[in-house]
Amino acid sequence: MEHVINAENLTLSYGRDEPIITNAQMKITPNEFVFITGKSGSGKSTLLKSMYGELIPKKGDLNICGVNIKNITTSKLNLLRRYLGIVFQDYRLINDWTVEKNVMLPLLIGGFSKGVCVKQAQKLLKHVKLLHKADKYPLELSGGEQQRVAMARALAHNPVMILADEPTGNLDEYSSEVIWDLLKNARDHLGTTVIVVTHHIPSTLGIDYKHFFLESGVVYEVS
Amino acid sequence: MKSLKNHLSVIIPLFVLLFSIQFTSLTSKIVKNYSTKLIQDYSIVIVAPKTISQAVLKSKVSGIKSMEEISSKKILDRLKGNISSKNISLLKIALPKFYSLKLASFPSVKEIKRIEKKLIDSGLVTKVETFSKTHNLIYRIFQALKNISFIFSIFILVISVLLMFKQMKVWLLEHNERMAIMTLFGAPFWMKSAILYRLVIVDSFISTAIVSSLYIMLPRIDSINAFTKSMNIDIPKFELLKDTGILLGISLVFSLIIVSLVIRKMNK
Repeated sequence: MEHVINAENLTLSYGRDEPIITNAQMKITPNEFVFITGKSGSGKSTLLKSMYGELIPKKGDLNICGVNIKNITTSKLNLLRRYLGIVFQDYRLINDWTVEKNVMLPLLIGGFSKGVCVKQAQKLLKHVKLLHKADKYPLELSGGEQQRVAMARALAHNPVMILADEPTGNLDEYSSEVIWDLLKNARDHLGTTVIVVTHHIPSTLGIDYKHFFLESGVVYEVS
Repeated sequence: MKSLKNHLSVIIPLFVLLFSIQFTSLTSKIVKNYSTKLIQDYSIVIVAPKTISQAVLKSKVSGIKSMEEISSKKILDRLKGNISSKNISLLKIALPKFYSLKLASFPSVKEIKRIEKKLIDSGLVTKVETFSKTHNLIYRIFQALKNISFIFSIFILVISVLLMFKQMKVWLLEHNERMAIMTLFGAPFWMKSAILYRLVIVDSFISTAIVSSLYIMLPRIDSINAFTKSMNIDIPKFELLKDTGILLGISLVFSLIIVSLVIRKMNK
């Protein structure tokens, strides 16, 4: 697969409203670390939503892992999403499930045995330094801890690509560092493509990355 | 507490629905049993100028189970003291034949009229007495009982469907966020909805168990027993496997259809 994301003349809008993204061109190759930046309301999250199929393009083409999502069926979209790891700014954890079960979610969907799911969830919770809170519920954790759980969940099934929407937006310095380390490790050790929507690219990251900048609905690649 | 309330919101309409279905079935069985009893006591009397063979009459009029001649010997014996034996012999020859007919099943008013007409039209019979006045009254009471319980069931069914739909929507709103998150990770339809299906399946089992227990206990309650005996009615025995199976089947089909409809509607 040459590109994990290939957008050509991509136009995105909600319903019949004015387009939020117009004629975007994007090519992202496997194992890249990509930042998408822009002012609030510039369409960063909208662009990310289209990458996990929550918003279907009005015009143009968007190929995700070789699948054109423009006319994708529900079952194919479900299948595609099983190869993605998504991290949201508001965590989106299932509040009546334990931390451990939340991390297990992508593995349960993938049909893995309970033993495998538990083992992998515990390994990841150890990585995010939350193994001691495996039996707690999300609302018993701080915001930073919840985001670390969300990150562990996104990594649980070794996804082809991680899509993170402002993953450190509301976090303290320590939790932010843990998140960036996990994303770097996923890229470096698992070969995962990482796409992060953010306001600011951390200066201490120390990695090569690709940068797309959004302004007035236009996507610019920053060289 | 919230979970109990959620379960009760489904168990109650399911219980009411199953109770009314079983009640209709019970009424129907009681009516059937009672009509079987009645048919044993009920007969039509016919008068014929000549002797009739049962086979001939059966071939001309359907619905007849058996025919028995009513002997005129008793009447003639009573007259022996007042009339000479010669006249008795003449009377014996001139007297028509009386028969009592038993029917195969408990007849409707329409059915009685049909049998009466067929008998007259056969040319074998000169007079028919159906005792239809008494019979009609009992038959109409039975029909009314059956119809009332049927209408009652339909009414309950509609109410139960509405209550179930309402509760399913409440459940879906409660589970909406979890289902949305699972959708984002590519969960298939059955997996997202599994918890709702599990809940209605559990509630179906509970409702069926309650209704079955109630109908098993019913004939053992003294006051009900006394009442049915006074009415000369036997309450049919609740067949644990058969009746519970039917109730469970109805409950599962009914609740699974409703939950599927609501989930599909919400997904759209």
